Amino acid sequence: MIHTGEKKDKIDAIIRACGVMLRMNKVRPDARESENIYYQMLSNYFTRLQDAKDEGRFVAAHTVFFPTEILYAMDIVPMHTETTTWMISLFTGECADLLSAGTDLGLASEICTPHRGLAGAFASGALPRPNVMLWSNLICDNTAKSGELLMEINRCPGFFIDHPFQHSEDEMKYLVGELNSMIGFLEEQSGHKMNWDRLAEIVARMDRQIELFREICELRKAVPSPFHTQGFLELLTIDYLFPGQPEATDYLETLRQELADMVKNGEGAVSDERFRLMSFFIPPMHLIGFLERISQEYGAVSVTEPFFTYWGEGRLDPNRPLESVAEKSYMIPETRMYGPLDDRALKSIVDCAEQYRVDGAIYYADVGCRHTCATIKLFKDILNEIDVPVLTLDCDVVDPTITSEEEVREKLERFFELLEDR
Amino acid sequence: MFDRFIEVNSTFPKTAHVLEHKRQGGLVFGWLCTYVPEEIMHAAGALPVRITGHNQETELEDGSAYLYVNNCSFSRSCLQMGLRGGYDFLDGVVGSSTCDGARRLFDLWRNYIETPFHHVLTIPRKSTPEAHALYYQQVVQFKERLEEFLGIQITDEKLHQSIDVYNESRTLLKNLYELRKLDNPPISGAETMEVLNASFRMPKELFNEYLKDLLRDLPSSGHTHNGLARLMVTGSVLTNPEFIKSIENQGALVVADDLCTSTRYWSDPVELNEDTTPLQAISRRYLDNFPCARMFPSDKRFNRILSLVQDFKVDGVISQIIRYCVAYAHDLPLLTERLRANGIPMLALDVEYGTSGSGQIQTRVQAFLEMLGARKR
Amino acid sequence: MKALGIDIGSLTTKVVILDSNDALSFNVTPSGDEPESSARAALEESLGQSELNLDHDFYLVSTGIGGKLLPFTQQQKAITTCLARGVHYLFPSARLAIDIGAESCNVLKVNERGRIKDWVNHDKCAAGTGVFLQKMAKIMRMPLEEMSKLSFRASSGPAITGTFAVFAESEVISHVHRVPPTPKEEIVAGIYSSVVSRIMTLCKRIGIEKDVAVVGGVALNNGLVSILEKAMGFEILVPEAPQIAAALGAAVIARESIEKGADR
Repeated sequence: MIHTGEKKDKIDAIIRACGVMLRMNKVRPDARESENIYYQMLSNYFTRLQDAKDEGRFVAAHTVFFPTEILYAMDIVPMHTETTTWMISLFTGECADLLSAGTDLGLASEICTPHRGLAGAFASGALPRPNVMLWSNLICDNTAKSGELLMEINRCPGFFIDHPFQHSEDEMKYLVGELNSMIGFLEEQSGHKMNWDRLAEIVARMDRQIELFREICELRKAVPSPFHTQGFLELLTIDYLFPGQPEATDYLETLRQELADMVKNGEGAVSDERFRLMSFFIPPMHLIGFLERISQEYGAVSVTEPFFTYWGEGRLDPNRPLESVAEKSYMIPETRMYGPLDDRALKSIVDCAEQYRVDGAIYYADVGCRHTCATIKLFKDILNEIDVPVLTLDCDVVDPTITSEEEVREKLERFFELLEDR
Repeated sequence: MFDRFIEVNSTFPKTAHVLEHKRQGGLVFGWLCTYVPEEIMHAAGALPVRITGHNQETELEDGSAYLYVNNCSFSRSCLQMGLRGGYDFLDGVVGSSTCDGARRLFDLWRNYIETPFHHVLTIPRKSTPEAHALYYQQVVQFKERLEEFLGIQITDEKLHQSIDVYNESRTLLKNLYELRKLDNPPISGAETMEVLNASFRMPKELFNEYLKDLLRDLPSSGHTHNGLARLMVTGSVLTNPEFIKSIENQGALVVADDLCTSTRYWSDPVELNEDTTPLQAISRRYLDNFPCARMFPSDKRFNRILSLVQDFKVDGVISQIIRYCVAYAHDLPLLTERLRANGIPMLALDVEYGTSGSGQIQTRVQAFLEMLGARKR
Repeated sequence: MKALGIDIGSLTTKVVILDSNDALSFNVTPSGDEPESSARAALEESLGQSELNLDHDFYLVSTGIGGKLLPFTQQQKAITTCLARGVHYLFPSARLAIDIGAESCNVLKVNERGRIKDWVNHDKCAAGTGVFLQKMAKIMRMPLEEMSKLSFRASSGPAITGTFAVFAESEVISHVHRVPPTPKEEIVAGIYSSVVSRIMTLCKRIGIEKDVAVVGGVALNNGLVSILEKAMGFEILVPEAPQIAAALGAAVIARESIEKGADR
């Protein structure tokens, strides 16, 4: 459990990969401007993280679905641990090393690979050592339970946000209290004061960005659908890393314009759209490129992701910035899978299927993700009722050894043929 | 002495007591986790029973079909029993946001098993004053929903009565555990588990009577147990006494535990004083109770484990974690470290819910006991 | 014009010939290393040709893991599509088709036209396939047929609960080497109920609807089918030659293509 200390982290691999993507886009005729903005944003994010120590900046490592708005408002450098780890894993090809470093800490194989991997990444020094560790129970027991071990590995203090399960007034009050306590903790640790005006600005921008997310989704209802099949991962990453940041608005506005133009011209993401798909959960990272190719090959496009891109109702209010940050955590599409799966949550799936004219659904059944896989039967039954078949692909979001291209191709081909044959 | 308890468990879930209660027109409510306050259901005149799964490791084809293979076998086993009508006598089921397994079990139960009343409580993971305020609100809300559903009033007087019954039970169980501190206790770990299991599955008042008889008879019964080593069992939910028996059959004696089906169930009483209403006292107790691994910070649990180790003169700890029981799996490296720092060896076992501890497990326990024996010599 | 269906599996290659008046003939041969030569040999044998000659009298649809690589096929179809069509041809009333092959188990919800409404499957690593049963037979040191017979002799067996084949394997080994060993028929019953339980999980996930048909090589195993029937609680439809269902479905599709006047 000893941090290797001054060993060089592997953030550089991500920055280099972004550079490659940007250079490739220069010569790719079909490269989107929004894509360039996206890679530049990623590159800046990780460069800032890499330089933080030399520049004496305060770094907070945090888990997924975290109110990063607060960190930006306090001029604290955020490190999204899951995203950073899986990008390192993807671009260095050292997934097995990260996982085995996690296993060496004593983490069982049932601990999902993102979390086993990130503990391993801290322990092996692939991730830089943060000044503080922040985490919450959004979205599962793995996030809830990860922090204390990570504090120990990094020998740093930490704060746990206890995110309540349901959405009553009392629970909102409790969550706001939790956020306030965390701000107090961060002020004490970093010496930075919370800049409430800045938080209000961030919240105002976040509100705008949520509107843009919704408009982008609305555009995806078009037939043919304009956004490429794994594009939703870009949207996710934007909110994971840059909530309320000006460049995120820039990215989203550019993307919205590109998609609007395509819709106007009747252009689709694939040249011949045959299958409109709904996606659940995240595909294996090492297969993203392959899945894009197969999407083109078969004219199959993911047009909606009820728990990833389908933002709930509601607006944020810059005059009540902290309450808005709390409120937002309930609006994030994925967090609807955290609360009770009541009739309303289930109905949103049917609504999505109907509004987006979905032919079939793909459920990426991550072997480590218990709370999502537990809904496979439930979602299948609901979708079968409106005659939408669901393909379950057993996989692992990070570990490339669980599923191969061939296996996934085989299953997708069978599934597409099934859709065709109907 | 233990026959009456064993009989209840062998007929579970439809024990004679449950059936009799139903025949008399009584209501039966199932609860899914120790963070659900039983006293509220009891004060509403219902018989609260704990929902557990199949008593032994078994095929979970329904559980795996409705949940998924990567959900813990406890949640799959409970759901399967429910899907197959094992709990068709229930008038209500009450869940909590304790862990992913518990919350999804509740989600699936709500969608696929026809129990008339469903309710789920938000359980904070901290025990700060704010967390207590939130949990109190949850308890109030639960009481109000029950009142509405049943068309009754759950008065303070009734709550006081229920607290008395449950506190008496907790005191009696504490007394039973006191006997386990003896060098040659009159009760084994496996027998203790039979007693505890019965406590979830019959009216508390009657259970208390059974337990009083047992406590009266045990000291003079001439029964004594001893073992090469005194062990504590920690980790996930455990209800199969065969598992404990398989350890004790190898010459050890299980004297303590921090299981939600044993010590964590009875350990802390509801403390009433003049300034608190019964609901406040109940909610304080449930959130402050000996914590599950889900709670933050983990140190609170670790410290209580360490004091049990001391109080019960424990030589070694066996951790049994059900596969995919993530809260306990995450705590394992930290707990191992804490125990090691205190000179307490631990054996960590991956198990499935209901395991009887045969095969591979037996071999590992044997090796552990040999190691403990060598240390003692 | 004759409709030909070929299913090239990992262990066997199945050929079905369907002529215009529904007469059906088939054969099953072991698959070699090369799908193309296996297919060639199997087709030659079924057609009584010494050298394969697929002239204008035939329309060939191929499926199975080797089905993709045939240069002389007119159409290549997914195994699932073919299974649904084959089952529908045999049992038009079937709404759930269970296919237990060597390396995978597919469960299909089928509509009244033989089209798939939904599909679940599990593969190699799961303890619910033919290869798993063969492995078990090896551990038990008896042929599969004997295992099937033995399974009728025990009313219950020890629970073999390992979800993945590797865990289940070690459980079985521990029963074999136990002192005294668990009686053979009980272990076999345990193995069978564990396989059936895996299959039932898939069926229940997709939803059981009558009639239920079981096909694939493992459906030849009477012992297993009988336990599966018990688990379902009603009679299951089993064709005389369950292993040819996919090849038959391919032949059905070939015939549809002929009727549609499809180009060769």
